[in-house]
Amino acid sequence: MPADTAGTPIAPPLRLDWTKLAQRARLKRGAGQSALLAFLLLVSLPIILPYFWMVVISFTARSGGVSTDVLWTACAVVAPAVLIYTVVHIAAPSPRLRLVAGVVIFVIGAALLAALVGGQLHFANYRFLWNPNIVEEIRSKATAGGQFPSVWIAFRNSLALALSQTVIILAVASLAGYYISRFAFRGREAFLQGMLVLHAFPAMTLIIPIFLILHWVGLLDTIIGVMLVLATIELPFYVFVMKGFFDGVPWDIEMSAMTDGATRRQAFRMVVLPQVRVGLIAVAVFAFIRAWEEYIFVRTMLIENTNWVMSLYLFWVSDDIMGVDYGIVAAVSVFYVLPSLLLYVFCQRYLTQMTIGGIRG
Amino acid sequence: MADFARAQLNRQRTNAALFLGPAVVLLVCFFVAPVIVDLVLAFTDMDRTLAVTTLTLDNFVRMFTRDSRLLASLAVTAIFVLSTLAAFNVTFALLLALTTTALPKAFGGFFQAVWLLPRMSPSVVYALLWAWVVDPNERGLLNQILVHVLGVAPIDLRGNQPLLVIILANGFIGASLGMIIFTSAIRSIPEHLFHAARADGAGPLAVVRHIVFPALRWPISYMTIHQTLSLLVSFEYILLITGGGPFYDTTVFSLYAYRRAFENGQYAYGAALSLILIVIGVIAALGMWRLMDMRRLLQAPRIEVH
Repeated sequence: MPADTAGTPIAPPLRLDWTKLAQRARLKRGAGQSALLAFLLLVSLPIILPYFWMVVISFTARSGGVSTDVLWTACAVVAPAVLIYTVVHIAAPSPRLRLVAGVVIFVIGAALLAALVGGQLHFANYRFLWNPNIVEEIRSKATAGGQFPSVWIAFRNSLALALSQTVIILAVASLAGYYISRFAFRGREAFLQGMLVLHAFPAMTLIIPIFLILHWVGLLDTIIGVMLVLATIELPFYVFVMKGFFDGVPWDIEMSAMTDGATRRQAFRMVVLPQVRVGLIAVAVFAFIRAWEEYIFVRTMLIENTNWVMSLYLFWVSDDIMGVDYGIVAAVSVFYVLPSLLLYVFCQRYLTQMTIGGIRG
Repeated sequence: MADFARAQLNRQRTNAALFLGPAVVLLVCFFVAPVIVDLVLAFTDMDRTLAVTTLTLDNFVRMFTRDSRLLASLAVTAIFVLSTLAAFNVTFALLLALTTTALPKAFGGFFQAVWLLPRMSPSVVYALLWAWVVDPNERGLLNQILVHVLGVAPIDLRGNQPLLVIILANGFIGASLGMIIFTSAIRSIPEHLFHAARADGAGPLAVVRHIVFPALRWPISYMTIHQTLSLLVSFEYILLITGGGPFYDTTVFSLYAYRRAFENGQYAYGAALSLILIVIGVIAALGMWRLMDMRRLLQAPRIEVH
């Protein structure tokens, strides 16, 4: 700046009211941020509202209809509460004040909700948890009975599928990731490029041949078959994620372990693996959530109703009683969403650590 | 000496088998083999009986000359992919990334979490929510808003504008991936560049134009290819929300192959249709790894001891 103005006469110093300027800047900034907030709130409503609705009707809807007054009453309470808290959050600088205001607003909102819609709350929609014949009861004439398994069978299958897939992916991906991160071997570059192509390759296009292969080897309609398939098509992604984590471990750690007499495998097991704990957790959580929500492959490859997983259970429940009883469908949905959502919320900080070739996902 | 070399070679082999073996076996059985099976299958006449009687080119002849429904599905695919991509997966994702990073972290994080919700919740649940929203009777969420707030007659969006519904449903999920990747790109721009730009008198839009966009050029091109490919091949939400219907109105190409195989039992024809997608997939995959950080990814390891 001084170099530019050196030749020109210096302008007389302006009398600036700094406090006023700062005030105006703050005001402008506040207005801009409020506009952004309003915009985001508006575009996010189509997501927030349906999820909110799902939870609300799962606790309030009764068979034969769905009283939507409850939804709007609840919205009328929750929306102002959230708005007020947002204003407080922006205006109040101290975290303590925010906390106090948050608690007060929450208590008032909860009290209002209890007073306005508390009478309509009930858990009857969740009776599918202990009554396996729920669908037959609702559509007694249409179905002869015995068609729907207990939800716990589906839950168990889902859990078995997700857990075993997680274990396979953890073991295979960490072994392979470590090898391609640390070992020099002939054809390493070609192997890596091949893996990259597989990683970017859309496995969904292979559903027909995979179906036939499972049929030929007798794994069609078994949890094991689906588990192997799902673990494999996601494998290249996880191998690269694990490679990224192994790349981040300093070589010296391994080197010093080996100078102390450890073999390569011992160094891997006892020195390097503990270093990538965060990566292992991230991969495990992600793999679990992915397996938990899978639909197309299980839909195509699991047929018998004793092999149903949660996604199939929910699909057939909604297919059968959607028009008759929204409440139960919503309750099953909530029951199904909950595990993956909880995992996601509690493990988010691990998930954000995953990178592939410079791409976070 | 020879013994030592042989022992080392042995150890190298067992190490390779131990570490890489499981991955290779799985990938060959359920990834490479299906590609080959599909390639062969496309030239057979396998139908519902799952028996192959002859090798034939008939599937491809049919594809290019006799299948009028295929043309319609290609048109649907083009509309679906292009509009979802243009409206949501790139543009709206960019908008979300820009707005959420401009806000304080607490708010930005909240809205990013909201937009990740559909991605993290199971596809069946997400599809059900859409079925509720566009339910043609007056209990559907959209119709309630239309009737009670705007005072207009209820509409049947799924029946009349099925394509719009699947574009919206896919777009609301697709936007979140772009949002995450663009956000991390924006956050990795050195802070001092923003300060320097502000000091030089740049307004918020100029900052976006001259500082943020240049940093996003690479992520945007990556996302465009990635999302084109994934929209092209994924039909999960379409199958769940409209089932490809009414009739074949929302049957995109990949869903068309799926329906031919699993609804009509024409496995060979489905495989032939998939083969086209596989070729496109391989080409796009090759294109994408050119965009990856190849040098760092292929960097030779430094410890050579086995």
